[in-house]
Amino acid sequence: MPFIGYKTLIEEGDIVLAFIGRDAIKPIRINSEETLNTRYGVFPHKSMIGKRYGSQITSMKGYGFIHLLQPTPELWTLSLPHRTQIVYTPDSSYITQRLGITNGSRVIEAGTGSASFSHSLARTVHPHGQLFTYEFHESRFLEAKKEFEEHDIDVVINHRDVCKNGFEITNYDGGYLNADSIFLDLPAPWEAIPHLPKVINKNEKVGICCFSPCIEQVDKTVKALIEHGWTSIEMVEIQGRRWEARQSMKRDVDDAILRLKDVKRRKLEGIERKRKFYADNGDNNSKETENDSNDVREKRKLDEKEQTKVEKTEFNPFGRGMRVLEGDPKYNWLKVSKNEAELKSHTSYLTFAFKEAVANL
Amino acid sequence: MSEIKQDQDQFIVKPTLIQYGHHVLIKLPSSGLKVAHVTEGGSINLGKFGTFDLSGIVGFPFGQTFEVLDERKVRAVKSTTYGNVDTLEPEDIPTADANADAAASDVVMDETSKENTPEPKTLGEKIDYLKRLDVKSSETNRDLLDIGAGSQALTMEEIETLKKTSKGANIGEAIIDKLIKSHANFNKKTIHSQEKYLKRKQQKFLRRFTVEYLGSSQLLQYYLEKEASKVLDMSEETLGLLLSLGNIQSGGRYLVIDETSGVLIAALLERMRGSGEIVLLHENEHPNISALDHSNFPIEIRQKMIDSLNLLQFFEPESERVEFQEYSTEELKELKSNKRTHYHRRKQNAIDTNKAIDNAIKGDFDALIVATTLYTPTLMKRLIESVGGSRPIIIYSQFKEPLIETQLDFMNDLRILTPALHESKARPYQTIPGRLHPMMTMRGGGGYLLSALRVYPVEEGVTAVGRGLKKKQKFEK
Repeated sequence: MPFIGYKTLIEEGDIVLAFIGRDAIKPIRINSEETLNTRYGVFPHKSMIGKRYGSQITSMKGYGFIHLLQPTPELWTLSLPHRTQIVYTPDSSYITQRLGITNGSRVIEAGTGSASFSHSLARTVHPHGQLFTYEFHESRFLEAKKEFEEHDIDVVINHRDVCKNGFEITNYDGGYLNADSIFLDLPAPWEAIPHLPKVINKNEKVGICCFSPCIEQVDKTVKALIEHGWTSIEMVEIQGRRWEARQSMKRDVDDAILRLKDVKRRKLEGIERKRKFYADNGDNNSKETENDSNDVREKRKLDEKEQTKVEKTEFNPFGRGMRVLEGDPKYNWLKVSKNEAELKSHTSYLTFAFKEAVANL
Repeated sequence: MSEIKQDQDQFIVKPTLIQYGHHVLIKLPSSGLKVAHVTEGGSINLGKFGTFDLSGIVGFPFGQTFEVLDERKVRAVKSTTYGNVDTLEPEDIPTADANADAAASDVVMDETSKENTPEPKTLGEKIDYLKRLDVKSSETNRDLLDIGAGSQALTMEEIETLKKTSKGANIGEAIIDKLIKSHANFNKKTIHSQEKYLKRKQQKFLRRFTVEYLGSSQLLQYYLEKEASKVLDMSEETLGLLLSLGNIQSGGRYLVIDETSGVLIAALLERMRGSGEIVLLHENEHPNISALDHSNFPIEIRQKMIDSLNLLQFFEPESERVEFQEYSTEELKELKSNKRTHYHRRKQNAIDTNKAIDNAIKGDFDALIVATTLYTPTLMKRLIESVGGSRPIIIYSQFKEPLIETQLDFMNDLRILTPALHESKARPYQTIPGRLHPMMTMRGGGGYLLSALRVYPVEEGVTAVGRGLKKKQKFEK
C-alpha cells in the first residue's frame, strides 16, 4: 500500500510523489515505459526503479533535479486535485486527536469531498479499524472511489445524501457500522444528526465533530446536538500558522555612529585637501585663474581630482553597497522568524460533542 | 526496512467499560482532574465531595457521571450538561430570550436511590426548578444593581452549618435552595443569568464526577493542569499535529526522545495499539516515562515495543554493549537465591541492552520524533543519519528559538527537504445557542513543531537549473 505502511525501494507500479518544488508535488505511477517531464528536465521512470524512497535524481541532461517521495496523507493533502475545499492538516490532526481516533477506530465521514481527510483517517485507523465515507455528489463520489482503489485504501464509500437517507448501508458486514467517531463536513449537519443513533456504537462513548465555516451553522448544529442527547458540546477554531526562519543583521548603533564619524572625518579631510590644493595651485572657480589658458585650466582640473581624492573607507560595518547574503559569516546575525505572507485566518468552526454509552447493568 | 512480522503483533483493544486494573481520569465539576487506579477494595478521596469506593464505578461505561452518596457509595446519573461546564463565562450578555432547549431528562440508574429527587440539569428542568422555588425572572437586567456579596443574606457560617446538618446527597440541593431564597436580587436577573447562577452553584455543591477513559489527550490534560512543565507545555493541538506530520501509524518503527514524562510515548502507543517498535533515547541512566504507568498499556506490551537506550549507548554502541558471563546450570545451583535473582536480573539487562543496541544501529527509522530541552541544532547533526529516506523528522519545542536555529541549519543541509515551522492553537468558544462567542481567556503557550523529510542527495552533487547555469556550463567546457 503506497499511503499506509512503509516502503524502502521504488518498484514498477508504485505511486511516487515527485517533489519538484514546494508548490509542485506531482503524483506518478511508475511505468518503465514512461518519462516525467518537468520544468527542471526529463526524468525517465526507468531511472527511478530500484532507487530508495527519498532519493534525489538528476535529469537526463545531468542538471536539474527532483526528489522521489513515498506518498503520505499529509503530502497528498499538498498535491491532490481539489474537488472541494479541503480539510487542512492543523484541523484534521486536531479532530483525530480530540476524538481519540487510533488504530481500531470505526469512523464515519460525510462528505468525502476531496478525500484528503479520508486518506489521513484511513491511515490512522488501519489495520483494525474501518472508515465509512459518504458523498452525495455523483462525480465526486466516482472520482474518490477510483482514487481509493488506485491508492489501495480500505474505505467503505457510499454514494448517498446522508441528510435525507441516513447512514445505514447494506454493503458492509450486515450493516453493523458501530461507529465510535463521526466527522460531518456537510452544509447542514443538523439534518444528518438525527440519523446517527442507528449507526453508532451504543456500548461506548461516541465522539462527533461537525465542520462548518459559518457561525449560523454552528448555532443550528449545537441546537440539534442538544436535542439528540449529545453532551459536552464545545466549539473551537484552529489557528494553524507557519513560521519562516530568517536572519536579520545585528546592526549595532555604535557602528552606525562610528560610520557617521568616519563619513564626517573623510568629508573634512577632503575639504582640507582641496583648501591646500587651491592655496598651492589656484582654483579654477576663482577670479585669479580667469585668464589662464584652457590647457592650464584642464591640467589643474585633473590635478585637483587626483590630489584631493579621499580613499574609499575600509570601515563598512553593514556591507553597504555590496550584495550581502543573509547569514554571511563576515557579519553578525540574529536568528528570527516571521509568519508566511498570507495566513489562513479561518478554515471552519469545529463543533465537538460526545454521546455517553447506555449503561447496561 | 521496517517490515513488522504480523504474527508478533497483538492488537490492544480500547476498553469501553470501567474495569479493575484500569487507570481512569476523574473529572470533577470544578474542572479538577484526578487519575485513579481502579483496584479491588480501593477508594478515592474527592476532597470536599467526600470519599467513595471504586467498586461502585466498575462495569459502567467510560464517560459515565456519578454522584457521591453516603457510606462511600455512588449512583450513576445521566449528565446532560451542554457546553463545557468549565467554559461558561461569568456573566454573559443577558438576553430576554427564554427559549428553553430542553434536552434529555435526568435518569437515575441506581434502583436504590429512586427516592432521591433528581436535581434539575437541563434548561427546561432548571426553569421548572426555579418555578418550584417560586422565583421570578426579569426580562432584562435593568433593575439589577451589583452590590456584590451584599445581595446574599446567607453567610458562610450558615452554609457550613447547613452542610453539617443536612443529610447525604441532598446537601447540595438544600444549600442551593437556600442560596436562591436568600438572594435579594435573584428575581431581577434574567432567566439566562439565573440559569448560570444555578449552574455555578451546582458545580460547587453537587457532588458529581465523571469517569473518562485515560487516553493520551486526557493524560496530557491532566499533566497540563497539574504541572505543565512536565509535558514541556505541549498542547493537545500540537500533539495531534505532531502525530499526523510524523505519519504515526500501526506497525511503524520510531526513534524517539521524550521529555514529556512519557505522554508522547503514550500517544504513539495509542496510535499503534500493539504493533510496531519504539527506540527511546534518554540522557539519564533510565528514561523518565512515569506517565506510562497511568496509561492502559500492559507492561509486557511496553517491554515488547519499547527499546530504551541512553545517548551514550546510542551514539557509541560498540563500547556500550554489555558483556555478560553466563553461568552453567551447576554453577547456578550453587548460588544463593538472592544472588541467583541478581544474576537473572543482570542477564536480562544485558540481553535487553544488547538487543536495543542491535536494533538502534540498524537505523532507517520510519520517523524521528523529538520533544527535548537538549539543544536541537547539534542533536540533529547526530540523529539525521538514523532516519530512513522520505521519512519525517518532527521536533517539538515549547520555544520557537531553538527550532529557528535548527530550521536554518536544515535549510543548508542536503539531507533535509521541506523544513517547516508550525504553530497550532485551538481557540475555544462559549458554546450556547444564540450566545456563541470566543472565550475571554484561553491557555497560552502550547509549543511549536519543526517538521522536515529525510532525503538522499545525489552523491556527486547537482547543478540546479536557474541563474548562472549557462555560464557555468560554458566555463566547464
